[in-house]
Amino acid sequence: MIEVKNITKSYGKTQAVRGISFSIKDGECFGLLGPNGAGKSTTINMLSMLFPPNAGQITIGGIDVAKANGEVKSMLGIVPQEIALYEKFTAWENILFWGSIYGVKGKALNDKAEQLLKWVGLFDRRKDLVKDYSGGMKRRINIACALLHSPKVLLLDEPTVGVDPQSRNLIFELIQQLNKEGMTIIYTTHYMEEAEKLCDRIGIIDNGLIIAQGTLDELKKQSEVNDMIIVDCTQTPDEKMLAEKLKTTVSVHENRLSILSEDSKKDLTRIVTTCTDAGYEITRIDIQKANLESVFLKMTGKQLRD
Amino acid sequence: MFNILKKELRALVKDRRAMMLGLLMPIILISVFSLAFGGMNKAGDKKAQLLVCDEDKTSISQKVVAGVDSVKAIEMYTTTTDSAIRLVKTGKYPGVLILHKGFADSVNALKSLPWEMKYDAAQSVQMQMMQQYLMQSLYGSVGKMMREKMVMKNSEKQFAGMDDESRTFAMLQAKKGIESSSKDMDDLQGNIMKIQSSPVTIEQDNAGIVQAVSGTAVMMLLFSLTAMGGRLLEEKENGTLKRLLYSPLKATDILTGKMLSSIIFAVIQLLIMFTFSSSVFGLILWPKIASVLLLITATAFACSGFGMFLASVVKSRDQLQSLSTLAILSMSVIGGSMVPSFLMPTWMQTVGHISINYWSIQGFFDIFWRQLPITDIEFLKKVGVLLLFGTVLSTLAFRLFRKNVTSMA
Repeated sequence: MIEVKNITKSYGKTQAVRGISFSIKDGECFGLLGPNGAGKSTTINMLSMLFPPNAGQITIGGIDVAKANGEVKSMLGIVPQEIALYEKFTAWENILFWGSIYGVKGKALNDKAEQLLKWVGLFDRRKDLVKDYSGGMKRRINIACALLHSPKVLLLDEPTVGVDPQSRNLIFELIQQLNKEGMTIIYTTHYMEEAEKLCDRIGIIDNGLIIAQGTLDELKKQSEVNDMIIVDCTQTPDEKMLAEKLKTTVSVHENRLSILSEDSKKDLTRIVTTCTDAGYEITRIDIQKANLESVFLKMTGKQLRD
Repeated sequence: MFNILKKELRALVKDRRAMMLGLLMPIILISVFSLAFGGMNKAGDKKAQLLVCDEDKTSISQKVVAGVDSVKAIEMYTTTTDSAIRLVKTGKYPGVLILHKGFADSVNALKSLPWEMKYDAAQSVQMQMMQQYLMQSLYGSVGKMMREKMVMKNSEKQFAGMDDESRTFAMLQAKKGIESSSKDMDDLQGNIMKIQSSPVTIEQDNAGIVQAVSGTAVMMLLFSLTAMGGRLLEEKENGTLKRLLYSPLKATDILTGKMLSSIIFAVIQLLIMFTFSSSVFGLILWPKIASVLLLITATAFACSGFGMFLASVVKSRDQLQSLSTLAILSMSVIGGSMVPSFLMPTWMQTVGHISINYWSIQGFFDIFWRQLPITDIEFLKKVGVLLLFGTVLSTLAFRLFRKNVTSMA
């Protein structure tokens, strides 16, 4: 469905995307996981034809986007990172407007608007101004506005930023339902659990490059990480010193140490001794099986945080 | 494009407070300016322009022309009578002094002088001021010539019995004491040298109202439409512009939709202002409604282009506010929105041509003062200049907008 070949994008001297390639099958949910500033939104903006790449090629549905315009744009539904709604309009007015600019008209527009508002659970509040909605409700309308024209591909750019857990779960359910119905989805996030939960395949993006991609199991295999040991101390540990002594990847965030291990049982005693010798008082130890977080730490040498 | 237009108009109607302010503010200002300019009867002290037509072309008439040219307060230009009247009728010059054929003969014969002054009624204040300077000069040149001739004529009668030598001496003495009887001088000033003065345009008593209404209307329109241009930046800031650009709409569709809504709002705003002025200040609007609508549309297009241009140049709404205040107030001053153009120095009047205000205000003077018909080339020229302003500014806005699209990420 989507083929991205070696695309690059620079803003002045800053290279935001430095040669990204990936492909997404029809009906697949593909996650782009990376920290803020990694190049996720720039990639989404190039896929959605907001601006062209400096180099490389993007094809969507077999059409080279450099040579197309309206036909490809009509295939895409885009949920931007911002809540891009008119706050002084009601939900109903917003949804009708965003549908109309994709050429949906009359009864078809009204029926679809009603269906989508019911689907996101806001039909009863359709006459309320968007400015009076909670953050989670706005996010749901933000998604609904991208679906009026029944797109083949849905691009979601961090759609859960600033949303409470309950609304987040509801948004997950909506996305999973769309994917089940056969919609191709590209989902960018910097939340590990979102990518793990929603995406069939994940591309890990950092500094404008995709450093690994595949299913979660494939990524775990690629990273050769089995466990991650989490150590909480009473003070902030010295990351560099511990990494040198333990000869593994170590990450420190406030008073928490994250240490990658191929065999946690073997390494645990050594880690405790090293920390104690260094004068750190340990308050808690947790051993986790390899997950996306440990894969990311192994591949980038840093943790992915909000 | 029409979806954008509909959305913009709906957004405008929903923001009732902003709309009321947009409509009430100009009306309040029009009232204040109308009251202030309504009693306007003083001109400034700038150099006044005057056309002179010498149909007589004698040494005496040429002396008079040279005398007028030497008046420091007057900037004189000579031309033919037909051309001069045309220039005055279209408001380019406030008046023309015509020396008809037989002027020199009348001076020699001490008869009423065949000269006349024709002026633009819209600039009668300026003409009053100019006539004062003019008469001081003319009494000094023509008056002196005629007084000498008057004395010589009286002396010839008085010293008729003397021999030639004694008569010449007596006449020279009389010439030195040139002030002859006050009756003769009164006759000279009151009748013989009197300039017949008449307007070539229809005289109105509402110059101040036209000035106040048109000046304020254009200035307020610029503010309103720049604020509407600011909505483009608001959309950029809250992400809806990016979302619009994701859609199959072209960037030009988005801007065109926004511009059309601005123009519609501007036309409504101007119509309300002129209707208010018609009912409250007695501006005669309805017989000239076709010309007014044409000029209003051209003004709305130019102002809308200006608003969009500014919104495309700046990066934030704060920048827009500062830049627009500076630009609009400057244009309003040099264009004659705040002070009538004819009171400004000549160079300032020339600079004023770069402002939308100038062309629009002059267009309204053409309609309400000079009573030019909708087909008059001078009126259409002003409409054309406003359309040109709109086209150039919109084109620049479109180009800058496209260029800025890449900075949306």
